[in-house]
Amino acid sequence: MYGLFDISTSGLVAQRVRLETIASNLANQETLLDAQGRFSPWRRRSVEFAVGDQSHGGGLGVHVAAIQESDTFDLRFQPGHPYADTEGYVRYPDVDPVIEQIDALDAVRAYEANIAAVEASKSMFSSALGLLA
Amino acid sequence: MNGLDSTTGQTLETVMRFAAARQAILAHDIANSSTPGFRAVDVPVDAFQRSLSEAVDAAREGRTDGLQPEHTEGVRFEGDRVVLEPRPRGENILFHDRTDADADRILADLAENTLAFRAAAELYRHRTALILSAIRERP
Repeated sequence: MYGLFDISTSGLVAQRVRLETIASNLANQETLLDAQGRFSPWRRRSVEFAVGDQSHGGGLGVHVAAIQESDTFDLRFQPGHPYADTEGYVRYPDVDPVIEQIDALDAVRAYEANIAAVEASKSMFSSALGLLA
Repeated sequence: MNGLDSTTGQTLETVMRFAAARQAILAHDIANSSTPGFRAVDVPVDAFQRSLSEAVDAAREGRTDGLQPEHTEGVRFEGDRVVLEPRPRGENILFHDRTDADADRILADLAENTLAFRAAAELYRHRTALILSAIRERP
């Protein structure tokens, strides 16, 4: 019965990773340079979930199979910008704040649903413990 | 049915084992609510209840020695264990990410399943208290 918590925890972990990805997308929506100061616009990241919890070797649960980086950029016409290409376009991260916000809402709700499942399992445990008392 | 005979205890135990196993399946459905292509699964509760109720009748009438429920759709009874074979719920339309998890229904099933477990545990506790007071010969 302890496996119940592992299943819900895998859901919590997956949704938290998703929320972290969304937060980094939002934080970097205008980022053009990498950590070394070279021109490398932020690539939008998105998580890919897959069935099964690898960390506990079970078929039940969920895990983050991959974090995809987007290949597309938002081209803005800014001639004279230090990072503009020959035609005057600058590549900005392809991050749409509206999409990210909606994704974040979905992640938070899914997180809460997993918390509800943990609460339900906890109440089952406490009544099972009540049998001993 | 006598509240103190072993069939009562076995029945409540079976209900608790079933609810605990089903809880894992429902938690799995909730954990995968954002997994593309995931189809929500469950086990037929009515088939389990029917099999259990027939087994209780058979035990009460003395046709079987103790509670011996028969395997049923998606539920196998192996000794003391209840093994579940979940199957797609198939009760909802497909969304754009090819999932069909109906969050409301799954959460309602989760609440119902938790209550079923707690009800069985509570009955079991009362039964144990009854036996204890019988032993002590005072309430």
